[in-house]
Amino acid sequence: MTGEQILVVEDNEKNMKLFRDVLAATGFRTLEATTGGEAIHLASEHTPDLVLMDIQLPDLDGVEALRQLRANERTATIPVLALTAQAMRGDRERFLAEGFDGYLSKPVNVREFIGVVREHCQGRVG
Amino acid sequence: MVEEQESRAARERRRRVGDPFVRAVAHLPAKVRTKLLVAFVGTSLLLVAVGLLAQLVLGQSNDRVASVRPLQKRAVQYSQLQAQAKHLRVVLSVNVATDFGTVWPEVAPPQIRGTHSLAVDLFAVDAARRIGASTAEGQLLLTPPREDQKILDGIKSKADELSNLLVEKIIPLYGDRTTISNENAEMRPHRAHAEGLASDLLQGASRLANRTTDEIDRLIALNASSFARSRALFIGVAAGALVLALLLGFVLSWSLIGPIQQIDTRLASIASGDFSGHVEVENRDELGALATNVNRMNDELRRLYTELEAASQHKSEFLANMSHELRTPLNAIIGFSQVLRDEMIGSVNGKQAEYLDDIISSGNHLLSLINDVLDLSKVEAGQVELEMHPFSLREALERGVVMVRERATEEGVRVAFAADPEVDVVDGDERRIKQVIFNLLSNAVKFTPSGGEIDVSATRVNGEVRVSVADTGPGIAPEDWDRIFEEFQQSETGVGHREGTGLGLALSKRYVELHGGRIWLESELGHGSTFTFALPAGSSTS
Repeated sequence: MTGEQILVVEDNEKNMKLFRDVLAATGFRTLEATTGGEAIHLASEHTPDLVLMDIQLPDLDGVEALRQLRANERTATIPVLALTAQAMRGDRERFLAEGFDGYLSKPVNVREFIGVVREHCQGRVG
Repeated sequence: MVEEQESRAARERRRRVGDPFVRAVAHLPAKVRTKLLVAFVGTSLLLVAVGLLAQLVLGQSNDRVASVRPLQKRAVQYSQLQAQAKHLRVVLSVNVATDFGTVWPEVAPPQIRGTHSLAVDLFAVDAARRIGASTAEGQLLLTPPREDQKILDGIKSKADELSNLLVEKIIPLYGDRTTISNENAEMRPHRAHAEGLASDLLQGASRLANRTTDEIDRLIALNASSFARSRALFIGVAAGALVLALLLGFVLSWSLIGPIQQIDTRLASIASGDFSGHVEVENRDELGALATNVNRMNDELRRLYTELEAASQHKSEFLANMSHELRTPLNAIIGFSQVLRDEMIGSVNGKQAEYLDDIISSGNHLLSLINDVLDLSKVEAGQVELEMHPFSLREALERGVVMVRERATEEGVRVAFAADPEVDVVDGDERRIKQVIFNLLSNAVKFTPSGGEIDVSATRVNGEVRVSVADTGPGIAPEDWDRIFEEFQQSETGVGHREGTGLGLALSKRYVELHGGRIWLESELGHGSTFTFALPAGSSTS
């Protein structure tokens, strides 16, 4: 394991615990943010290898947070995956069109989740 | 906006036709029935007026013809008088014509040449008396006009004078002779007097005759010109009446047709969902009332439409929120169960693993239910818009078969697929058709016992593409055939069966019907079921 650092943006405590523990058990290092503002701050400070972004957040939503990450040159190239319970028809296409690098709908399949995270980290490193 | 401008321009164009009379008629606060009645009565009155005028003109012409008739009669009388006077004049002339004998020696023997004859003069007396008598009213058979009467009186006095002259002065000169020489000195002045009187008589009679002829000529000329004038007047009035009647009809028609066209245009817009405009009809009759009601209907429909749109918007937001809120806790439930089941944080014993599998499959079942309920709600709310594009139905079927084949094989069920070569590309919403196919296939696998068989076939029949999934399962009783397409309804054999949301067939039915197709079932208890759906293949190519 290379120990890439992953910023998880999630406002639900239980889900945060799940993602954190799964990622830790798989060998990733994690950063945790529960709001969009916090996510931007942490991303800028630590430049993680990957951001898993919830969409419905207490302050600014995930799409706006993505926009701000992309606007900052320190964080502009970090891959960002949408990790959301917004899973109605057309949502995947909508978020990819917004500029997310990938899309995972909740509830996640843990194996699939790990696979996708690995894929995007490797894509960045390799 | 552009459309509105166009319709306004069209309205302006229409308004120019016959304006402002059309508007004036439209403004009249009377019922259409009354307006029509007035127009018809008006037109009829015009016709009657033209008819009366025609009768008047003909009557005048007839009167003039009648007035010529007595004149003609008078002219005949006067020309008779003239002839008598001429005759008298000639008789007297014969008497004095000394050359009478030289012209006709056989008739006038030499012994009477240059003489006057008593017989002739007696005849002249008679002629003069007859002329005098002829001038009397009773003899003329008519009442002469005053000017004529004066002349007639003159003629009578001259005739009397002549007859007296002849009787008293000339005839006594003969004595007992029958002739007398024209050289007779006593006779000469009397004769000259007599001839002058005869000439006066002739002149008078001629004046009468000429006067009457002139009068006739004048009357005929007058009649001709009056007739021409009357005819011009009649034609003018008739043409005027015709134009007036046409104008009346035109104005009235447009005051009715214009609003009807406007109302029609507005209704067509309303029918296509445009509630932005109002009919501007100036009529103060039934059409005005109709336009007002159309406008009220328009406003009411717009209000309802706006309300419905808002309600629909709320519903769709509610559905999205519900989906989100249900999925969030499911993520933790399924996620943590998978972490445990995959022994990422330590080993679990057999029973624990079994329970974890139960939690996971129940969680997934719940997720399917959420998805299906949401899909169904969207269909019910009319919020499903099919993403129509051509796709290969054959490939979709092949993929569906591949997806279920693994599980079917595990359960000892054989899946066969056969499609007509002409079944390939159809126009439709690929994802939803695939959902229907998968639903039918997984149902078939679910209900077919080990050793059974599933036959998937696709054919083109009567302009539609039919996909059938036949299984050798327990079959469905006829009384359940319709019910199983309803939400949360399963057949007797399906109830208590392993899985299923009870929504799959309901959704499939909705999706197929949204495509303009249909879905049905043929089954016999104990002999399996065949589900078939048909899609219109109008735009498909093979």
